[in-house]
Amino acid sequence: MTRIAQALLPAAFGALVLTLWELAVRLNEIPPYILPGPLTIMAALWESGPELLQALSVTLEVTIAALILAAVTGAGIALLLAQSKLAEQTLFPYAVFLQVTPIVTVAPFVIIWVNNVFIVLLILAWMAAVFPIISNTLLGLKSADPNLKDLFRLYGASRGQTVLRLLAPSALPYFLGGLRISGGLALIGTVVAEMVAGTSGARSGLASRLLEASYRLELARALACFALLSAAGFILYIALDVLSRRLLRHWHESARPVESI
Amino acid sequence: MNDPAVVLAGVSKIFSTGTAALAATDLSIAEGSFTSVVGPSGCGKSTLLRLIAGLTPPTSGRIARAATATPLATGFVFQEATLMPWATTAENIALPLRLASVADAEVAARVSDAVARVGLGGFAAAYPRELSGGMKMRVSIARAIVNGPRLLLMDEPFAALDEFTRFKLNDDLLELWQRNRWTILFVTHSIREAVFLSERVVVMSPRPGRIVADLAVDLPPQRDAALRLGHAFADQCARVTSALGDAFLTQAAS
Repeated sequence: MTRIAQALLPAAFGALVLTLWELAVRLNEIPPYILPGPLTIMAALWESGPELLQALSVTLEVTIAALILAAVTGAGIALLLAQSKLAEQTLFPYAVFLQVTPIVTVAPFVIIWVNNVFIVLLILAWMAAVFPIISNTLLGLKSADPNLKDLFRLYGASRGQTVLRLLAPSALPYFLGGLRISGGLALIGTVVAEMVAGTSGARSGLASRLLEASYRLELARALACFALLSAAGFILYIALDVLSRRLLRHWHESARPVESI
Repeated sequence: MNDPAVVLAGVSKIFSTGTAALAATDLSIAEGSFTSVVGPSGCGKSTLLRLIAGLTPPTSGRIARAATATPLATGFVFQEATLMPWATTAENIALPLRLASVADAEVAARVSDAVARVGLGGFAAAYPRELSGGMKMRVSIARAIVNGPRLLLMDEPFAALDEFTRFKLNDDLLELWQRNRWTILFVTHSIREAVFLSERVVVMSPRPGRIVADLAVDLPPQRDAALRLGHAFADQCARVTSALGDAFLTQAAS
């Protein structure tokens, strides 16, 4: 199968579904405040495009800041936990708590304790995103080749040299796997946080706009927000996937160029 | 005989799991000699190398190392090539120098010298996954010799290779040794390989590992591929085989 066909197939499937949707709405005369057709949604998107894109940029600002913060702190925490079995046993359960606690339940406290909306959203999105990075990176740090570790000891490598030249590269593919999961989670975290925090006004993100529109039964506009958020999440995933492949292309099996089948 | 590079006196190893890997062992390795250790799997051959390299402490006994055999002056070659998959051939070979913070210009010079010595010319920029098993092992050997060690510890380095590649690497290793006169301790489970390469073959019995025979190989020092076809070579192999056989009989009786 050629690459063009590979790209066309999902696009054709999407077009088919949208056509059936449009037809179903028109033939059954479903009113737009119950279910608007794809054309109506596209019109809404066109009409308030600049405004929605501006709101999307507010949301993505938080998402990307949270993802970067999660990448840095997650890798740092994993490195700390990998230093000793004792540190891991003592602290890892708390990382699990971070993962299993729904951020919706933490949001009210964060909102009371922090009075800057951007920071509130950042904290909540970070909470949603950081665990896969911690847990994957930790796994990667622990899976360095034991013979290579022996070699580093034999040559009198310092701790810093071992981390930089052996542990970090060994953990990189795992870290990047975590990052791809966390990209989506950071966006979900930001959206949930925006909805819970009830941001409003000119500096509010796309999730608040979605909520506003749905309260006013402007379903086409709400669905336009939804489509933009989904597209942003998809593009974020692709971007992280491309980053991962570029960094690993020379050596890791996951980034091996695809042979023609 | 030259001064010993390494002397083991009553060295034994019992793992924390309780497994006795090596019974009290005395062994003296002469400077500049090529010694092979043969024995079946689980006879403590690898443990012996790890003890000498200082990668694991002995449970009892002591190991004396000459200045030419300290861990930092030791090259180690594992059964698998054990390369860093994210680094090129040149960077893999450069590892011991990088860890010793050698200046870039000298690293480049020494690496290109090592690359030439093991016959890897033209592959310096290749990544491990682009290399065959034999080539990877050449990289591993180049890495072990790049910082000019005087002691080479080799743990079944050619066991995973096909016979043709193995013969070629045997020939090349022998030539390198004859030119550089490192002290080499070579672990293998191939009797033919041990006899072809070494001046001395140490035979070990399985768990707990003990030295049951210590044979001088009675072959001319200048060896080449044709030697493998002669009667003298077959005779020497037979001597080692029978010593190994005796070791098993003794073990079965006890």
